[in-house]
Amino acid sequence: MRKREHSRTMVILVAVAITSVSSCSPIVENAPFSVRPDTIEAGDLLGPFDGVVVDAETDRPIAGATVFGSWGFERGIGLRGPAGSREFSVETSADGRYQIPGPQDLPRGGSMRLRRFTLVVYRRGYVGYRSDFKFATGETRHDFSQHANKVRLEKWQNTQEHRRHLAFLGGGQAIAKAAGWEVQPASLEYEGLAAPRVAELPSETAAIAAARMLDVSPLLSVEEVRGVTGFAGEFEVGRLMDRVRSDVYDSRHFKAKGKPSEAFDVGVRVWALGPAGAETQFRKLTGELPAAVPTEEIGDRSVRAHGGEVWGLAFLLREKGVVVQISCGTSQCTETAMILRLAKLVESHMGELRSPGDNPFPSTGDKVKP
Amino acid sequence: MKATLKRLFATARHRAAFGALVLALAGSSPALAWDPATTHAGLTERALAASKFHAILAHQLGRPLGSLEPLRLDAATLDVDTSRSLRDRLEALDPAGGYRPTGEGMATAGAWAKAGAVLAKTPPELGRHHFFEPNKRQGLEDGPGLSGTVHSVRLVVDDGATVRDAATGLAPALDGMSALDWLWAPQNDLGLPRFFDGLERSVAAARPEERETALVRSLLALGGVVSVLEDAGQPAFVRNDFRGELLAHDSGSELERFVADRFGGVALPAAASPVPRPDLESFFVADDGKGLAQLTQQRFFSPGTLPQDFVLAPSDTPSDAADIANRSLVFSEPKVAGLDVRPSQRTRYVLRDGLRVLAYQRTGRRVHFFLDRAVYADSARRWLPEVEAYAAGLVDHLLRTSIKLAFVGAEATATLDGLRGSLAAGTTLHIFAEDSAGVRKEIATKLLRAGQPETIGIPAGTRKLAAFARGKDDAGVFVAAGEISLP
Repeated sequence: MRKREHSRTMVILVAVAITSVSSCSPIVENAPFSVRPDTIEAGDLLGPFDGVVVDAETDRPIAGATVFGSWGFERGIGLRGPAGSREFSVETSADGRYQIPGPQDLPRGGSMRLRRFTLVVYRRGYVGYRSDFKFATGETRHDFSQHANKVRLEKWQNTQEHRRHLAFLGGGQAIAKAAGWEVQPASLEYEGLAAPRVAELPSETAAIAAARMLDVSPLLSVEEVRGVTGFAGEFEVGRLMDRVRSDVYDSRHFKAKGKPSEAFDVGVRVWALGPAGAETQFRKLTGELPAAVPTEEIGDRSVRAHGGEVWGLAFLLREKGVVVQISCGTSQCTETAMILRLAKLVESHMGELRSPGDNPFPSTGDKVKP
Repeated sequence: MKATLKRLFATARHRAAFGALVLALAGSSPALAWDPATTHAGLTERALAASKFHAILAHQLGRPLGSLEPLRLDAATLDVDTSRSLRDRLEALDPAGGYRPTGEGMATAGAWAKAGAVLAKTPPELGRHHFFEPNKRQGLEDGPGLSGTVHSVRLVVDDGATVRDAATGLAPALDGMSALDWLWAPQNDLGLPRFFDGLERSVAAARPEERETALVRSLLALGGVVSVLEDAGQPAFVRNDFRGELLAHDSGSELERFVADRFGGVALPAAASPVPRPDLESFFVADDGKGLAQLTQQRFFSPGTLPQDFVLAPSDTPSDAADIANRSLVFSEPKVAGLDVRPSQRTRYVLRDGLRVLAYQRTGRRVHFFLDRAVYADSARRWLPEVEAYAAGLVDHLLRTSIKLAFVGAEATATLDGLRGSLAAGTTLHIFAEDSAGVRKEIATKLLRAGQPETIGIPAGTRKLAAFARGKDDAGVFVAAGEISLP
């Protein structure tokens, strides 16, 4: 009987306590950063935050960098665990500036607390920035501030590893999207097949880096294009600008002179990723290309696509670990068979493909030297 | 109400209860376990990187990008309750860690395993099943008395239990299953049964989205299992030290906080070489004394299991002082040795293998023991790579077997690889053919013989062959899987 009374008492107390405590705003922990760079006064985890992103070498602002902020909440007594988050992402303006407002609609509860705020900044060609730790050394970062924060992005170095970089970055969807291109080189690093990739390079090292890049220029010539399509005009030959050349990717752009429309252009894109990476890239292309239809007409797998004034054909050379994508304008390739002939010419020249370390097709056990 | 309150204050015991409750409601407590969001995620990341995780996914499980393979959890393939529970817990994760899936349920394979390590303590009350005292092979056992009741009430207030649970004694108190039992418990949705079932279904399910979701659930469980082992590297978890921390040292322990702040989830030291162990239990406890729980318990103190402070007698020698300290120890190791009890205001340290494991000060005639940041720094620097190495060893252990598939002319062969010792009789190999739409159908079952390749006829229209076998070898239960694309 006495036990039952005790339990009832506890229930009453609990009910009173719940009404008074469970609607509490979260406890906000002390911020490990200062409010501004020029003071030791502690900042506020709730924000807001602002700052500028610059190139560490030149001090010039970096526009278009992805800036991601997240607030991590925890709850629990004795044992604590995650209990929610809030996030915000933005791109830096033309003068490299960012602003992150404080979070709205905070989670509530007795032991709910705002444990941390993390800022992640990413721009391709640079080492990512976190407000808590430094990538290269793993040291705690002490130069982050709530306001007037200056994010100095270091240029990416060839000696650095994408797989470590991706693990370091963390971040939400915005960062994952911006850094998504690093997945393939990182995967190759796991396989022990590749040296760290080259992204955007400082000009003084560009010449050295160029020697390490994939070169697809031997795969298709102007004469061969003319031979297939019968085009009598001139071509300007260069690279397609939608992706950055690296040691696993290169392109060729045959731009018909005096023809403003892309209906006369021919493009070749090549990824040399090794068997595993190529399989995935092909799968990805199949999903991305408009109106893609499997055709199995060349290579181990192939797919045709058609969008606007352009035909597309992509094929996989599984053993060589290569994916090729050919695009040909409908005024250049006036018959659908023409694009297949171009693809076959490219395939026939695969033996001349030059990639880093003079090892065109890395296979298991072959490590490509930088 | 008035009468009720009067009764409450009638005895000293009840006054203590009320006082504790008031303190409990007003106060806050430190994280007792490794911080899930940072330390568990980081330890698991390092463990995966040191293990064969990537290679197994890339080369045996048909996921070319391995650890970085994007995988989608398709909620439509799960029952409503499971789907809702997983969604709620995943939404609690902080995206800064890089393991929270997108709104579409996408994350990389490695991120799913890391998320599992964090979800193992989401909600945090699940952590009470991560305790393992290796001498008794028991979990958390701190008694359901007054402190247990107070803890239950605190949890109710904190949404960790219901009012009815607290009133009827069902709220999580200061006890839990042993970590080893928890790994196999049916109610643990991140335990070994889920890991093996998920791995099996990632091969056997008919549709690609079902297989992918099954693999995700298996990876979540893998992270959950690894997380439990990682806690065997936390002194409080192997020294049954929860109540002391919670009620007596509310602002005491700083180890977990120190590790979370110093290393976060991204700056933990790299793992030592993966530690191979003969079976799953031996990762925690074994006759050779090399289970992680045993090593942790023997090497480190926790805040609630320190030697008791004492007052020196005028005739006491340093050796006497050490004896007095050692007599008060809850666990026989580590012992206190080499105490310097000359009067001084300085903090001194007990060393073990060159590491500071215990701090002490003499004030007047009183000797006071405690743990400080220097102790935590030494412990973390030396111990975290070891914890990661055990976790990496566990990943390799759980993924030790595979089915190697190869083409021989118009047929294929399947061989069980990675077996340790003998294969339990009756282990069946299940073989599946996948068509161009990605749909799998079982085409054969065969009794497996260790080291003997089984020949498989390939049906027309097959694009992929896949196989799994669930069995037992000298190292315990396994699910071996493999798949291969037709040339």
